[in-house]
Amino acid sequence: MEARFFEAFLMPYLVVLDTLSLTGIIYFYMLPKEQKANTSYWLPLVILLFTCFFENMGAYCNYNTAFNKEVNAFFGNTENPRYNLWLYNIANKQISTILYLFLIKSWLKPSKKKYINWMLVVFISVAFYFQIAGIEPIYSFQPIIFAIGANMMVIGIGLYFIGLITDEAFLNSNPVKLISFWQMTFLLFTYSLSYINSIALEFFLTFNEDLGRSLLQIDIVMGVLTKIILVLTLVSPNFPKLFEREPSSIDNKNLEGLIVR
Amino acid sequence: MNPTEDQIYVIIFSTLFLGGLMSTFVVAMVFIHRQRQAQNRLKMDQVKSEHEKTLLNIENEIQQETLTHIGRELHDNIGQLLSLAKLNFGSIKPEKIAEGRDILGQAIQEVRGLSKQLNLDWVESISINEFIEQQLERIQNTGFCQTSLEADFELIELPKDQKLVLIRVIQESLNNAIKHAFPDKIQIRLHENGMRKQILIKDNGKGFDSSQKLNGSGMFNLKKRMETIGGEFYLTSAVGKGTEITLTLPN
Repeated sequence: MEARFFEAFLMPYLVVLDTLSLTGIIYFYMLPKEQKANTSYWLPLVILLFTCFFENMGAYCNYNTAFNKEVNAFFGNTENPRYNLWLYNIANKQISTILYLFLIKSWLKPSKKKYINWMLVVFISVAFYFQIAGIEPIYSFQPIIFAIGANMMVIGIGLYFIGLITDEAFLNSNPVKLISFWQMTFLLFTYSLSYINSIALEFFLTFNEDLGRSLLQIDIVMGVLTKIILVLTLVSPNFPKLFEREPSSIDNKNLEGLIVR
Repeated sequence: MNPTEDQIYVIIFSTLFLGGLMSTFVVAMVFIHRQRQAQNRLKMDQVKSEHEKTLLNIENEIQQETLTHIGRELHDNIGQLLSLAKLNFGSIKPEKIAEGRDILGQAIQEVRGLSKQLNLDWVESISINEFIEQQLERIQNTGFCQTSLEADFELIELPKDQKLVLIRVIQESLNNAIKHAFPDKIQIRLHENGMRKQILIKDNGKGFDSSQKLNGSGMFNLKKRMETIGGEFYLTSAVGKGTEITLTLPN
């Protein structure tokens, strides 16, 4: 095989992601049936596999430039056919945000889930409108759509933390031993640390590309840490002494129906 | 420093500031969680100690009630039996002495029965249905009024604290009916209302204005006691139309 192929697919970041996804799949299959059917377990696996898929797809776009050029042309971008921003926007900034919002929703009390439902409706509508109206084309930088998604994530995580300090079920547990607490904490850090540089990405790439690329490393490192937490979610039932049972996991049965519907 | 450099520094500092802000937020949340957890534990301890206090009071009241009953039994029943036995033993006729022996045996049986009631172990061995039957039989035997029991189920498997509270609430409800309502008939019904089990205590006595039912009366106490075991107490009454008490059992 060509050296370019290995260069594209054997990047350390991709290797780590593939390994994490594989570990996630193995541990998911080791879970009992009831846990497999629980949103708190299958949704992290879906996020892991989706991330693994689109990151490898990105690598493929870098390898097969002809394919990338065709997709860019399809979206109307003939100026920079080597960019794979279309994939980064759709997968990393839009679908991933939607999946993470569902994950946040799975940890909320039923009375607060409706706020996430509204956020999802608003986010999807705004993203569609901005892209169709050409305000933020799919192949270009999308700071407004990302900012809206990131703000919704922060509000959703805020709702989780409010539940953590008010809900009696959460008050009876140790937050440091709850996997949901670590998921929310890492998501909060991922979205807040990459907030400004994601919005200012175009500015960086224009005026100081090196710094822009360095700041993008924050996004990559936080992304990997978040995926490690997702793998830990699937591993956690094997370490009952290290992780406590989630107090809201009983409610999650109801959530499954909502998501499927 | 040119304007672009300035902007880059602003972006870096803003990112660091946001990171710091989020760290403070998470640490503050954990700190508040710990504080609230401690407050919650204190509240739970208070509720637990109140529950234990209520149970202790109930045990005392049941024992008091039992002692009153034993005192009455000793005076009215066993005392009478022993006097009769003494009279029979004073006779020279052999059949009278044999009769005296039988009466003495009966008195011994009664004393054994009463001694079992002195501690609260009987609570564990008796079902709520049996307890209600005994209470109603006792009321009927006094000739005070007619009683009836209808049960759709047998209440056997109940934790001791729930049983104690139920026994005391039923006992007190019946005492109230006898003392204040002067009914001709008392009916008790055990039935299932949807998913929950209920005990209905109904009398056809003089009744009272139920809008004033909870003001400083023993009814408030009964309601609180049912709530301590996760049950409910509901009372309806009207002047001249009797009283109906619904005890809803905890799930």
